[in-house]
Amino acid sequence: MSPAAAIPELPTRASMLLRLAEEGAGGVLERAGGLLYLVDGRVVHAESEAATPLGRLVVGAGRLTEAQWAEALERCGGDSGRAAALLVKDGRLADGALELCRHTALFDAACFALAPGGGAARFRHGVAPEGGLALSVPADRVLAETARRRRLLASLWPGAAMDTQPVLRRTPGPDRPVPSRLRALLDLADGVRTPAELARALGRPAFHVLVEVRRLAIAGLVEPPGPRARQPTAARTGRSPAARSRAPDGFESPDIALLQRVRDALEACL
Amino acid sequence: MPGIDMTLVEAMSVHGARGATIVDWTCGFVLDSAGEAWPAGVDATAADTAELARLVRESAAFCAAHDGGEPTTVEDVIVTTGSAYHLICFVPEALEGGVLLHLWLDRESGNLALARRRLRALAEELAQPYAATGAR
Repeated sequence: MSPAAAIPELPTRASMLLRLAEEGAGGVLERAGGLLYLVDGRVVHAESEAATPLGRLVVGAGRLTEAQWAEALERCGGDSGRAAALLVKDGRLADGALELCRHTALFDAACFALAPGGGAARFRHGVAPEGGLALSVPADRVLAETARRRRLLASLWPGAAMDTQPVLRRTPGPDRPVPSRLRALLDLADGVRTPAELARALGRPAFHVLVEVRRLAIAGLVEPPGPRARQPTAARTGRSPAARSRAPDGFESPDIALLQRVRDALEACL
Repeated sequence: MPGIDMTLVEAMSVHGARGATIVDWTCGFVLDSAGEAWPAGVDATAADTAELARLVRESAAFCAAHDGGEPTTVEDVIVTTGSAYHLICFVPEALEGGVLLHLWLDRESGNLALARRRLRALAEELAQPYAATGAR
């Protein structure tokens, strides 16, 4: 890996994690978004409610069925790391494929655990993960990748509004063939499921779904986020712009959706 | 049944290999890398490779079914420059085909045909369970 890029976007969380890494600390870093486990200052495991767990990734990756995974999990007393290892031993899962899934799961969860706006971090020394991902990744690599992912999201569509709202597909035009990977996502985008729920249902990393929902919004295949999707604008309710409500001072009421997009874009630039 | 490390070691043993990476092309995440320093940096290279891979892999021009048959899948992409070949090989099945192996090959000393076959085999082995490999 290249040396860690500058991480200006995550000042407090980054400095705490880097300090712990320097000290060679062992324990768990707790934030509202998730948990990051350290051993000797290196990240060995990450968990987040928003991320897709290892078992879903292994099944979503293709070769295994849900039933095979459930059976392996039962035999290992619910420990997903050991269940995956057992499936490798049984010759039903490739070592390499599992390794890819474990890395993907760790960085997926770390991305949400270190997300901005997750409140203060707390570190508890000496806490080890139960059934971890059996990895050991330098903390600065995790921070650099998390920062890169935040930048990627912001470059596609600024603001976090899209990350948690239910995704609603639009009917694509006949001139727009949709690739099968995106088709599978669109088929489930029923206006009820959030990106995290879509990710679990598909067995894909939650971060991938955040990226793909943004790309689909840009392509006009899902409803863009914000109040626009929920509150019909004047045009959609059939009223002419002239009939829009006016305050007593004579000014037209502002376009809230537009202002929120501008705010989101400005926040992303800061 | 090699893991990520071994796959990169094997890729770097290809004659003329200068660098190798394993990249998640949905988001440009470098899972691991080996070899020389990439001229544009490993992350920037991965980001561009991921864009290219996505464009090709999701393109109707390359993937649409022919004569009503099954849709086909792109297996690899080769980029040729004045000094190098870039072999971009998709790993079948791993994370729904969302992972690629990128080999940066010296144009003078590398053998494109051999390197391509070797990379294809490595990509297949990476996602192939032990039993399935043994049964072949």
